[in-house]
Amino acid sequence: MNIPPVEPGTVGPCPVAPDALQGIKRQQTNPSRWNGAGWQDFVAALRASGVELAEGAAACGVYATDAGGTAYGLPHGVVLARSAVQVAQLLKAAQAHRVPVTVRGGGLTTEGESVAFGGVLLDMSGMSRVLKIDAAALTVRTEAGIYWHSLAEELRRENLDYLSAPLNLTSSVGGTLGVGGIDVNSARLGCSADQALSLQVVTPTGDIVECSDDVNAELFQRVILGYGQFGVITEATLRVRPYTPLSMHYYYYSSLRTAIEDLQMLDRNDASDYSGILTIMDCAVNLLVAFDSDEREAAFRTNWESRLRGHGEFGFALCMLGHYALRPWKAGEALYLLQRKQAVFPEFRRPEYMRDGKMHDRTVVFSRAVWKHWGSRQMVIPDLATPADKFIEAVERGNAVCRKYFRHYTLYCVGIKLRPEHKPHYEMSCVPPDAEGWAYGCEFEPMIEGAVYSRDHFQAFKNAIYDIGVDLGASYYRFGGMMKGYIRRIFGDALVDRHLAMKRRADPAMILNRDVIF
Amino acid sequence: MAALRDYAACSGCSLCRLVCPMWRSHRDPRFSAEGLAKALQHGATPAQLAAPIEACSLCGACDPVCPERIDLPGMVMDLRLRLANSLPLAGSPLFDDLRASLQRGTKPSAASHSAPLLLPGPDLRGDAALLERVRALLGLAVAEDDGADISLALELGVGIPPHRLQQFLASLGGHSIVAADGLLLRQLRRWLPGSQRMGLGAALGSRPAVRSNLLATDLYVIEARAYHADYERMVAYYDRLQLETGCALNLDLQRIAIPAVAQERPQKPGLARGDDAAQVRWILQGSKATRIVVESLAERAVFERLCDLPVVHLAELGEDPEMIKRRPHAFG
Repeated sequence: MNIPPVEPGTVGPCPVAPDALQGIKRQQTNPSRWNGAGWQDFVAALRASGVELAEGAAACGVYATDAGGTAYGLPHGVVLARSAVQVAQLLKAAQAHRVPVTVRGGGLTTEGESVAFGGVLLDMSGMSRVLKIDAAALTVRTEAGIYWHSLAEELRRENLDYLSAPLNLTSSVGGTLGVGGIDVNSARLGCSADQALSLQVVTPTGDIVECSDDVNAELFQRVILGYGQFGVITEATLRVRPYTPLSMHYYYYSSLRTAIEDLQMLDRNDASDYSGILTIMDCAVNLLVAFDSDEREAAFRTNWESRLRGHGEFGFALCMLGHYALRPWKAGEALYLLQRKQAVFPEFRRPEYMRDGKMHDRTVVFSRAVWKHWGSRQMVIPDLATPADKFIEAVERGNAVCRKYFRHYTLYCVGIKLRPEHKPHYEMSCVPPDAEGWAYGCEFEPMIEGAVYSRDHFQAFKNAIYDIGVDLGASYYRFGGMMKGYIRRIFGDALVDRHLAMKRRADPAMILNRDVIF
Repeated sequence: MAALRDYAACSGCSLCRLVCPMWRSHRDPRFSAEGLAKALQHGATPAQLAAPIEACSLCGACDPVCPERIDLPGMVMDLRLRLANSLPLAGSPLFDDLRASLQRGTKPSAASHSAPLLLPGPDLRGDAALLERVRALLGLAVAEDDGADISLALELGVGIPPHRLQQFLASLGGHSIVAADGLLLRQLRRWLPGSQRMGLGAALGSRPAVRSNLLATDLYVIEARAYHADYERMVAYYDRLQLETGCALNLDLQRIAIPAVAQERPQKPGLARGDDAAQVRWILQGSKATRIVVESLAERAVFERLCDLPVVHLAELGEDPEMIKRRPHAFG
């Protein structure tokens, strides 16, 4: 065999060196991780203080990834949260031994934010009991590892309900308060984090502190929507409300722009209790509108319904029939819409959740449908959050990116009522700094449908969506973990450096939720 | 119906935790179907998972909520079998007797070939008067071989000799079946896919004599195993029952049944029983019921032990003077 000699300069001194790939730019999404230094000493110190730490496959395997299913990592060990004192002992030992601690609630992150790449995984689900329901004051005190759905189960026994929470049964209270939490009533009631009245927080150095807008306000402002950088939320006092079933209406559009204009019109006029948009690609755009009371529903019917430009189900079906009859080359798309409708619509009308035309347990209905018809072992859900006036452009541009990268996808759009007095809470969060009155968010969710995509494909898709955000001066819900490369681009150096300095003061060894933001 | 999948398909959504009595009791993800599936995905052995494998009540609540359609109760039963095989129990009379019984089998049933059959299970067999009442209400023949040993083997993780299973299934061939044992009912759905099967509760509740005596002030406790074994159909059935009678049900917001019995039967020697009291407290929290109606005798015993409300078995609602005499407090 005649092997030609290597041209001088084409191969570096070490062909397998980290920089040996020539001409291929690699984006490092998993920078130098903690290497386990001092782990045994840390474990010994922790166990000496009475904190139980589990190691091995049986204990750690359940935490290998998050809902996104694209970031994989295992902790060295797991601590199941049982009390604030125990969490404080853990964080003190972690500071002393410089061991990273990753906190996990429901594990519903998509960018690896709740995945531990070594160190300790602190599972908050062990602290998931309701401590006190005050039906007169309409408040609840709960351990923060509780799932919103478990909280709803407890509240319902008192005929109460939480104000707003993500439409996902296994979101945790603490995790949600740390990032925001959007519901279809957020255009009226604000994000889930806005319903927190006070918190018990364990700081990164292990102090147990009660905080609220009046007590330790600076800590409260940093922990709410703080992406877990400034403390572990162990208990929360939340506002609650009397439970009511809701009457739901659906209006169908073939134009994203028109549907969003109508959504914003309803929100501006406080015309409904719940509002949001859920789509099948950009072909069938569903504006959902719902009410807690007959009075509100009647007022909507009198004053606002006629202004909506969407159709009822039958009218929209006729429109679609006409549309696709003139475009026979789009028969595949029409068939997909039909199949999707037949599969999904009955989920929202299951008789056991309907009484006298009203929907009970909306989160159960929506979440079960989401997991059944949208869920997958991999989920990428990049999002854009903008002021109201930039939202249509953001959604239309994001929609074009979805069309480019995936065959089928869903858009979920919802408004978030902003509370002016909470402006300090919103700093460096999903709430855009220039939003007034309402912010609007859109999630761009491709349907994976059993297909296999590379991580690079997912990452390129997410980057394309986030680049729109940079261009528009928007923000994002999911800017941590694998997307943290966008943090300085969207928030600017001054704000990020200020928060970084606060983080260094609060967490000298930078152990708490390392690599989520900082 | 799409084929059921195994633990490898678990995506870690945690929906099974929300309905799991074992998780509710431990608040530890290892004590959940998800925890078991994820640990198995990472190479854990049954011996490493012994505690949750033994603690599971096999109530089947996880089954209908799993979006990946994993056979989660089947996974636990399989793990119990593997665990028992990997850690043979020396000197356990319960296991020795069961293995001997399974080897022996039973005499073939004398029931006519097509008559509907009642499989009462050991609890109902132990209450002759109630069994007679059930039989009279349903008009069924009682199967001589009700598969009690097979059900116990499923529960304890004891291998069922093929000849015994074949003998049992042959005795059921062609019959409509009403089974009091929810675990057995679940397996019959797989073993005899074309057969007509029903749980005891649904069968009794369909009788006007029983249904008409349910009150809006009753808390009706659905037997969880039978309910979850046929979830889609049973959700509709009990929804109608509630609409018609106004009674409260032991269903959570997802319409999953909350079992009162944290662990059906004592399992391996030395293992602590589950926390029935916590389950009962959870079922009764916020309830304004004045009477408890149960489908299962095991749950009747738990409620009678742990709460002050009158407790009545569904069959006792059938306006039988003898039954009313036996439990006057339950009939006001």
